[in-house]
Amino acid sequence: MSSKDNRFYLGENKEALMIGNEAIVRGCLEAGVGFVAQYPGTPTSDIGETFQMLLKNDAELREYLVHHWAINEAVAVSECVGAAWAGSRVLNPLKHVGLNVASDPLSVIALNGPGPGAMVLVVGADPGSLGSHQEQNDRFYSWMLHLPVIEPWSPQENKDWIKIAFELSEKHDIPVYFRTSTRVAHSRGIVKLGEIQKPKEKHHFTRNIPKYCSLPPHAINNHVRLYERIEEVRKELPKLGLNRYIEGTNTTGIVTSGMPFGYTMEALNQLNLNDVPIMKLGIIYPINYDEIIGFLQKLNRVIIIEELEPFLEVKIAEICHKNNLKVEVIGQKYFPKFGEYSTGLVSEVLAKIFNKQPSQIMLKAQKYYNSFQNIIPKRFPTFCSGCPERATLYAIKKATNDLENTVIAGDIGCYVMSFFPPNECSDFIICMSGGLSAAIGLSSKTDQNIIAFIGDSTFLHTGMAPLAEAVNYDCNIILFIFVNNWVAMTGHQEVVGVTNHKLSISKICEAIGVKWLKVADSYDPHNLIRTIEKAKTKKGVKVIIIRRECALQANRFRQSEIRKLKEQGEKVREIMYVISNCQMCMECARVLGCPAIRRTTINGQEQMQIDQDRCIRCGVCFEICPNHAINKIDLYPFDKEVSFREP
Amino acid sequence: MNHKTKFQETDIINIVIAGTAGQGVITIKRLIEFAAHDSNCQSIFGSEMHGLAQREGAITSHTRYQKILSHNVRKNLYSPSICYGGADLYLGFEPSEVLRRAQFASERTIFCINSRTIPPILVAAKMDEYPKLETIEKILKEISNNVFFINATEMALDHFDDAQKMNMIMLGFAVASGSIPFIKIDDYKNVIKRELRQPDMNIKAFDLGYEKGKEVFG
Ligand SMILES: Cc1ncc(C[n+]2csc(CCOP(=O)(O)OP(=O)(O)O)c2C)c(N)n1
Ligand code: SF4
Ligand code: SF4
Repeated sequence: MSSKDNRFYLGENKEALMIGNEAIVRGCLEAGVGFVAQYPGTPTSDIGETFQMLLKNDAELREYLVHHWAINEAVAVSECVGAAWAGSRVLNPLKHVGLNVASDPLSVIALNGPGPGAMVLVVGADPGSLGSHQEQNDRFYSWMLHLPVIEPWSPQENKDWIKIAFELSEKHDIPVYFRTSTRVAHSRGIVKLGEIQKPKEKHHFTRNIPKYCSLPPHAINNHVRLYERIEEVRKELPKLGLNRYIEGTNTTGIVTSGMPFGYTMEALNQLNLNDVPIMKLGIIYPINYDEIIGFLQKLNRVIIIEELEPFLEVKIAEICHKNNLKVEVIGQKYFPKFGEYSTGLVSEVLAKIFNKQPSQIMLKAQKYYNSFQNIIPKRFPTFCSGCPERATLYAIKKATNDLENTVIAGDIGCYVMSFFPPNECSDFIICMSGGLSAAIGLSSKTDQNIIAFIGDSTFLHTGMAPLAEAVNYDCNIILFIFVNNWVAMTGHQEVVGVTNHKLSISKICEAIGVKWLKVADSYDPHNLIRTIEKAKTKKGVKVIIIRRECALQANRFRQSEIRKLKEQGEKVREIMYVISNCQMCMECARVLGCPAIRRTTINGQEQMQIDQDRCIRCGVCFEICPNHAINKIDLYPFDKEVSFREP
Repeated sequence: MNHKTKFQETDIINIVIAGTAGQGVITIKRLIEFAAHDSNCQSIFGSEMHGLAQREGAITSHTRYQKILSHNVRKNLYSPSICYGGADLYLGFEPSEVLRRAQFASERTIFCINSRTIPPILVAAKMDEYPKLETIEKILKEISNNVFFINATEMALDHFDDAQKMNMIMLGFAVASGSIPFIKIDDYKNVIKRELRQPDMNIKAFDLGYEKGKEVFG
């Protein structure tokens, strides 16, 4: 395995296999991007991981390209425009809900414009909520803020069009909204490459008060200028060639864009509807009216195939209305306004609209599946083996004997999994640090015990502000801060300042005014239980910092250390936990719920057993087994020990 | 047995891989796609899930490719995901996970399944039941005549002392079934050398699965 990924170095006209996000990174290198800042969020986190990987292995690249893991999306987007104002081409990847956080600065950035540089936002939508806590149709931001929206479908389009997005942004002094989705971002295909461009080396900010200070009267002037800029973009659309027309003689046509285009093509083929004309839009705002009118004029009916709330449908109905076109516009009357589409779904709906027989193979497969679906064991997402967050939940359950009288404010991080069985100990979730904020309101209106969760990254993202408010109002809240060193949920990006130990969360809490603060380790459950019991007796804000590295990362590091030692011929101390006298009390499987523990039957006797290849040796089950049925076996006590690293 | 399907070069080949997070579903998917590319397949499109770190969730991925594009643009590959009933090969790393996505299979599907179970935690907690392997096999045999189980995790532990090598054994086994056409064996091996740590061991595991497949599929 070589350290440099060749796909980002191959020259013009070569081919590489890339997922959508990798193609975006490649396109950025070809566009001469100089600055990238982002807060992680599925499905755009791996854009940053790819940049980080390239930068780590390439000193020359480090001289002209900067990638920042930002503290939150509002910071990231403003950071980006700062670099653009110095003249750089900048990229800001974020997930759909990240755009909600970034929308306040973005509304002004759109007025001011990113010039003289260029700015592209890659917004990862998530129809079907495949990696998010909600689904929303983020496309409507483009109407509000006048951002041109480009919607790619394939990795090739991702690569080619991101370059067009930068050119458009630079030429018209406007941020461009490059909208992918979970499916677009994470599908792999063949990409024909272009030439890599180095960005210019020197940058300079030039003062320009009317442009950069959107206060009255400049705010209004910039608003007018924004209307003008979007009209300029509209005029340029025919030259961009982003829309694609597939001919057909049928008087019912289809307008679609992004990934639904793929489902539509395959569904039409499946139904043998090969004469339906298709307009695939590559840019969905602004729209080239003449092109759409030209397409509609030959039709009696037009079907709009788009995921989530009707966006194109509204626009196309408006075009028909204003131009007196007698075309029936069909969309959400047949298609769902929620969830992710698929070839199967589009095919079923089109069969209905065109009065065709749906594919029998497909119907049979679905029907038979429904007949046995209920025997498939549920596999809820849960914490990894040995996760310190699970061990914390265990201690909370033990220390809080009246769950009736306790409210647990959940939040977004791996600890969201506390909602699912068998853990089931969070009561609500809003958004990043929404839990702690809601706890402030709750504590003002009820005497119940209130517990709130937050992770290190979420705390820095937006959690410091509600903590300061909770301290100010002396709210009776126990706040658990999981300092596991990583933005774990989204795949282990660095937590700004925490992973590299540049800042201290406990010092931040003290500075905010938290009087009662304890640092605890959930791998020592009995002590943690006592700490929680003590916290319950105190008034005001109590903070318990759980300081234990994410088990997945800690174990990866430990295993690589062990591998290294073994390769050098060293012997390594090995510890195993083995269940030998199981009473089937279910404490480890149901109350703790570590997935390395399985229920088996040995010699007709039901008992718990530890899967050694899945156990990471955290020792928590050994500590908590009330029957002392779990033994710690020290295989080579005198050999070199490799323990988990200090967080 | 009718499992040796003949494929046309313009056919879209559909492969579902299912398992639990951490079993290497995405790694094996990538290997097949890179090998297909090295074998000069003209179109490749496949979808996978990224981003949730946890080790315990269900993971499925779809790989699709065409050796040669059809002249009729409407007959080519446009969607990275397979339609219900569309799988040519269903590669399962965990038996109950094969059931979970079995709506993608039909009578022409070849199932290659690792028989080692990973019961979800609710099963250990006695809040849910894991179906018997025989039940799973019976259900799948109603879909297709070609359902093949091997205990690849055990083979991986016996030969390599590393349960993770299961996925490479399964890949070799599936390749021997003939249901991943138009990709040369050497291309898999080159991709393994290029993309993975411990390439020698991984190639050995691939070969072990392939040999096992030869015994079963002839
Ligand atoms: C506004 C917003 N941005 C990004 C995300 C994506 N996201 C979900 S969980 C999470 C990480 C939380 O990290 P941390 O609080 O450290 O918890 P951990 O996963 O490490 O337990 C992120 C970034 C989101 N849900 N909302
Ligand atoms: S990724 Fe880390 S923090 Fe998240 S569940 Fe796994 S061990 Fe816990
Ligand atoms: S020691 Fe126990 S709790 Fe920890 S990972 Fe192993 S089985 Fe799970």
